[in-house]
Amino acid sequence: MPLRPTRALPFRLIPRIETYPGVVSLVQTIPGKAALLAVFGLLYAWTNPSALPLVLCLALLTWMPFRRHQLITVSTVIFAVVVPWTRLAQPVYNIGLITGVLALAAFLIWRASARPRSWYGRKPATILLAGFATWIAAISLVPWHIFRLAPIWDFTIIFGSYIWFIAYVLVDRQAEPVNRLGLEIGFLRPFWGALPTPLPNGTGYLRQIEARNAEELAITQLKGLKLLSWAALITLFSRVFVYFFHVYLRIPYFATTLAMSAHGAPAPWFVCWASLMLHFLENVMAGAILGHRIIACCRMAGFDALRNMYRPLSSVTVAEFFNRYYFYYKELLVTFFFFPIFLRQSPRFPKLRLGISIFAAACFGNVFFHFIRELLYIHDFGLWNAIKTFQVFFFYCVVLATAITISRLRKRKPLPAGFFRGTLRPALSVCLFYCLLSIFALTDRQYPLVEHLRFLGHLFFMN
Amino acid sequence: MDSKTTIRQYLTELLVRKGDRRPFDDDTSLLLGGRLDSIDTVEIILFLEKEFEIEIARDGFQRTQLDTVNMIDAFVRTAHLAAQ
Repeated sequence: MPLRPTRALPFRLIPRIETYPGVVSLVQTIPGKAALLAVFGLLYAWTNPSALPLVLCLALLTWMPFRRHQLITVSTVIFAVVVPWTRLAQPVYNIGLITGVLALAAFLIWRASARPRSWYGRKPATILLAGFATWIAAISLVPWHIFRLAPIWDFTIIFGSYIWFIAYVLVDRQAEPVNRLGLEIGFLRPFWGALPTPLPNGTGYLRQIEARNAEELAITQLKGLKLLSWAALITLFSRVFVYFFHVYLRIPYFATTLAMSAHGAPAPWFVCWASLMLHFLENVMAGAILGHRIIACCRMAGFDALRNMYRPLSSVTVAEFFNRYYFYYKELLVTFFFFPIFLRQSPRFPKLRLGISIFAAACFGNVFFHFIRELLYIHDFGLWNAIKTFQVFFFYCVVLATAITISRLRKRKPLPAGFFRGTLRPALSVCLFYCLLSIFALTDRQYPLVEHLRFLGHLFFMN
Repeated sequence: MDSKTTIRQYLTELLVRKGDRRPFDDDTSLLLGGRLDSIDTVEIILFLEKEFEIEIARDGFQRTQLDTVNMIDAFVRTAHLAAQ
């Protein structure tokens, strides 16, 4: 996902093994496939001891790529139903709920395809999201006995974890109707990793990027191994990083300095700065590790997906950083919030149109996405309380959307020549902005907005 | 210059701006193939609206309709016909 020309580096920490013909040929042989899976499994197991089911699923996909869609469905069902069995307190109950959610998802997908001209068939994803929000409001506010029942809330929470996957399937099938449901069911929280954000986005994209022959599969899998190696390297680096700064130099974590500030005993300004910068960099590393691991597994399954994160610290604009930091989340916001608004506005006022659409995505969409993940909080403390205590993240979204709008609408002069003025200075400015903004990028509702603002004040010597 | 050449030229510029100098033909999948992303789709829409004076804001539009040069060209022609 290169956004600007980047100079070819003479030295690569991890070589581009997928461009070596000998290695590509070797990976197409039986010993080569076995070696690739073994190396991938060992690397994966280094940070996740329960890697065996995943590696077994990947082995099946490696040896039977002609059954890819069916195997992905089987693997995803195994990961949804069998793998968590021993970890669940009430496995039969939970598996029953998951099965119910999958059945409802299949019904919603089938219904939209069967009646494409109906009200629901024309805007299935919008109706799904609006319907889910209405459902949450109903079960939170309407004082019916049935809405107090635990299975209703449990079902809603599980359905909520699937909602963006279902929405993508609905959008993709609307764009390009397909008769089969194999990949669609396999994509509902796929076995290679299921965050609330689908990685990668949609079955339409998956169909385009899947390996069509043995050579493409070998190249894609080698790229997967390379990405996992990056994840392992960053993991190693982040452990040393955390040890050096937090253990050896004893710089407190951001949570600690924020708590000290909130309790009226702020740390010195330079300690606040240090902890905030470490917090920002640790978040970048954690995001890279997680995204790289999931995309690496996806590539091993035969899909040449783009990385989730690509050199965010070298971004020279606020909008570019947002695009590079969490690519698939940005794509989600664009698909479900930006475009529906953008396409409904007149092109007569292009700047206003772009600004409104960016706010719809980066502000409203961002808040909506995070808010509907908080169902347990809504259940425990009520809807109004949940909205009220979401003020910090709401503030974050407003500032972010404003900054992205300015960044997109501003007439940019060409960057000045020279590494310092052309690259380093703008990149540092962008990082500083996101570093400061990360004070508010929290959904834990621990402190009110005023405490986060107070912490910001400490950074600039205001007590 | 015909519409397809104009579209191809614009897409080449867009890709070069992103550091992508790989060749592409009129049927190369640019969006679903991952060479262009959603933000680039916005740029393409703004370009089409300005260059060909068409209105993209209508029901049933899908981003995948702008996946290849040929698809964009067909989209522009259909939009012109619909406007007449």
